[in-house]
Amino acid sequence: MSVLFSGGFWAFVCVVAGIYTILALGLQVQFGFAGLLNFGQVGFMAIGAYTMAILVVKEGWSTWLAAPLAIAAAAAGGLLLGLPTLRLRADYFAIVTIAFSEIIRYVATNDTSLTGGSQGTIALGAVGTASEYNSGWSSFQTHVGHALGISTGDTTMLVIVWVVAIILLTLSWFALRTPWGRVLRAIRDDEDAAASLGKNVFAYKLQALALGAALAGIAGLFYAWEFSFFSPDDFQPLLTFFAWMILLLGGLGRVWSVPVGALVFGFIFAGTRFLNFPPFTWVASDERAYIRLIIIGLIIIVLVVLRPQGLLGKRREMVLE
Amino acid sequence: MSALLEVEDVVRTFGAVRAVDGATFAVEEHSITGLIGPNGAGKSTLFATIAGSLKPTSGRIVFAGTRIDGRPAHRVARAGVVRTYQAARVLTRMSVLENLLLATRAHPGEQLTGVLFRPRAARAHEQRGLERAQELLALVGLESYIHEYAGTLSGGQRKLLDLARVLMVEPTLVLLDEPMAGVAPTLRVQLLEHILAVRRDRGLTFLIVEHDLDFVMQAADRVVVMNQGRVLTAGTPDEVRANDQVVDAYLGTTR
Amino acid sequence: MFLQLVANGLVTGSVYAIAAVGVSLVYGLLRLVNFAYGDFMAFGAFVAFAVNGPLHQSMIVAALAGMAATAALSLVLDVVLWKPMRVRRAGFMSLFLASIGLALVLRQSLLLAAGSAPRSYTVNPYRVFVLGSVRLSDAQVIAIATAAVTIVLVGLFLALTTWGRVLRAMADDRALAAVAGIDVAGATRMAWLISGLLAGLAGVLAAMVEYSFDPNFGFQLLLPVFAAVVLGGIGSAYGALLGGLALGLAQEVSTWSGFAGGVNPVYKPVVAFGVLAVALLIRPQGFFGQARAG
Repeated sequence: MSVLFSGGFWAFVCVVAGIYTILALGLQVQFGFAGLLNFGQVGFMAIGAYTMAILVVKEGWSTWLAAPLAIAAAAAGGLLLGLPTLRLRADYFAIVTIAFSEIIRYVATNDTSLTGGSQGTIALGAVGTASEYNSGWSSFQTHVGHALGISTGDTTMLVIVWVVAIILLTLSWFALRTPWGRVLRAIRDDEDAAASLGKNVFAYKLQALALGAALAGIAGLFYAWEFSFFSPDDFQPLLTFFAWMILLLGGLGRVWSVPVGALVFGFIFAGTRFLNFPPFTWVASDERAYIRLIIIGLIIIVLVVLRPQGLLGKRREMVLE
Repeated sequence: MSALLEVEDVVRTFGAVRAVDGATFAVEEHSITGLIGPNGAGKSTLFATIAGSLKPTSGRIVFAGTRIDGRPAHRVARAGVVRTYQAARVLTRMSVLENLLLATRAHPGEQLTGVLFRPRAARAHEQRGLERAQELLALVGLESYIHEYAGTLSGGQRKLLDLARVLMVEPTLVLLDEPMAGVAPTLRVQLLEHILAVRRDRGLTFLIVEHDLDFVMQAADRVVVMNQGRVLTAGTPDEVRANDQVVDAYLGTTR
Repeated sequence: MFLQLVANGLVTGSVYAIAAVGVSLVYGLLRLVNFAYGDFMAFGAFVAFAVNGPLHQSMIVAALAGMAATAALSLVLDVVLWKPMRVRRAGFMSLFLASIGLALVLRQSLLLAAGSAPRSYTVNPYRVFVLGSVRLSDAQVIAIATAAVTIVLVGLFLALTTWGRVLRAMADDRALAAVAGIDVAGATRMAWLISGLLAGLAGVLAAMVEYSFDPNFGFQLLLPVFAAVVLGGIGSAYGALLGGLALGLAQEVSTWSGFAGGVNPVYKPVVAFGVLAVALLIRPQGFFGQARAG
């Protein structure tokens, strides 16, 4: 029970919530703004994380060069996915995007020479060495911590992640209010009508997909830095579904409901660890992990059935149909 | 002098069905041309082909001297040809004002590059759009709805919004698809007056598909009659009205 | 070697085909892409295991039990989840997301109940049938034979029986069929029933062929099955059959050394998606699909 009151644990939960905010924001740009059913968001996260790690470990690049390139790579992944698939009907597109993220995970698992394979980033470098990509980031984090007078790494990370998240949220909010954002919303509303108004629907969708992918890439970077090690199994479709759940929780189409959804989700997910009372104590602790996911599945269902506009959304703006 | 729009031998098939079977006619600049014919004559399909939502199976469509057949809908719209739909297709989850602002052409703010590198031009364009939107809404009598969701408008009001939107684009040729469908008689008069005024004041050209023959006879300078995918005849309303073949086509008398 | 790969492809393909028909029937009727379908298959496989292992029944009894259980689950879920959503006029997105939630619940429940350890049926892994240059295991032969019979039965059902025609008519044009006085509620139950039976069967066959399986294997099957459905054109049962067979064959045959060394077998799932991607580029609605979500 003491963990419940440990500041370090909740700082960690908030860091993860911050990472998910950025991931889900990307999804919001794709679906909430432009109506794209992207179920492969985690694939772009993987591209961001792996590109950075590979460049730092194998090519010896500095973190500060590798990171922007990783984000660009994720965006390029979005373009690559979108070019052949955005003209497909919505349900096919959804299925193809899942296939995309699974292919990414698959390649990462099997192309050991490129990605370290199923062992993860530890195996990125020469055989027999345990590779690390994190040194550049760690020293940066320490500097920031000193400058701000914070002693724990987790709290510093929390500040950094949330500052970045808030900047990205603000930028997205502004973007949505521009005429460009207006076209996106029109496409989401009725893409044929938008086309008859002279808008190049395909180009806009592609931009939304790529920008959302870039955001997922940023989330991937923070994920990599927070955990200092990852493997392909960290990028399962389950994460995409978590991001969708965050959108459902917070409300579709609204930028500032994303962090709300992420925090609620983070606390639900973390909070289910503390089911230290009967009947949950009858069940072994690794089985509690299954129960957590069952609860999450049930919440998704309940949300979709009863409150598809999310906690903060207005029924009138309900975008699910 | 060549016409503004020339449709030459356009064919559009759907599998075995020849919805449009070699249609040829011309629309003169500044005219109001009516396109009539019994159900199934191919009028809507032809409209869709001109507007770019469908590609013709064969044939040419020439607008202001350039071929537009086969161009995608958004490029046809940008060339100056704008169409409306039978059920006024407004963006229901956006406000009336936003519906109009979206209709402007070449808005720098609508491109990401414009947002980032030409903010002042974008703002100026937006301001002009705002002024024109207010003016057009006043024209059609919808000023008080300016910030309402377009989805809350009635059918007739949506038609007016549609008309205002069409005018925002500052098009050259307007394709109206059954503008009178489902419109109350009092509103019909209003709509007719708007169309005539707009043609007079802004020099637009109209091609109108319509079943309401009274309207067509009153409004149109020229009428093109289609039947079974082909153009039966074309001429002034009086000429067409007196034409036996046209009467037969509508009544289905066999010869 | 090539013929062996073709045979393997037919085995894999027929499992995909059976599952794909189940997915397609439900989609055709309810416009529901059932993301939980893979876990239905796993459910069927595990029920069969419980009957075959601890209860020492033969595989036939076990398979039937698995099919029945999955069909029952299917029908119960329709009453408890899908019907309330239909009443609320839920659209494609809502249904898809709900099926994702359901998939989570099902799979984790299965893990909770059965644990993550792999299981196997008590079939003989060593008996081999030899046909010319082709060697097939017991499980593979059973799978092909059962699948072939099932495919023929399903095909006949769809083509000849009233219910079959009703289901196809509704997939084509739901509104029209409803107006024509067709018993929509009955057709829905029929679709879920058949879909559940097929899911259970496909699950058992897949588990038999793979020899060892755990609760996660349903999801691994799900994506190739979806790919088959899309390839065939969503909503078309015949398309699903063809799509499943085509993908299974493509997957296996692509590893043939005659194709410039062949694809590394580890990348077989990627081949399935590659085939789908190319097919969609050429024909965006799939073999027998409609161009727009009708």
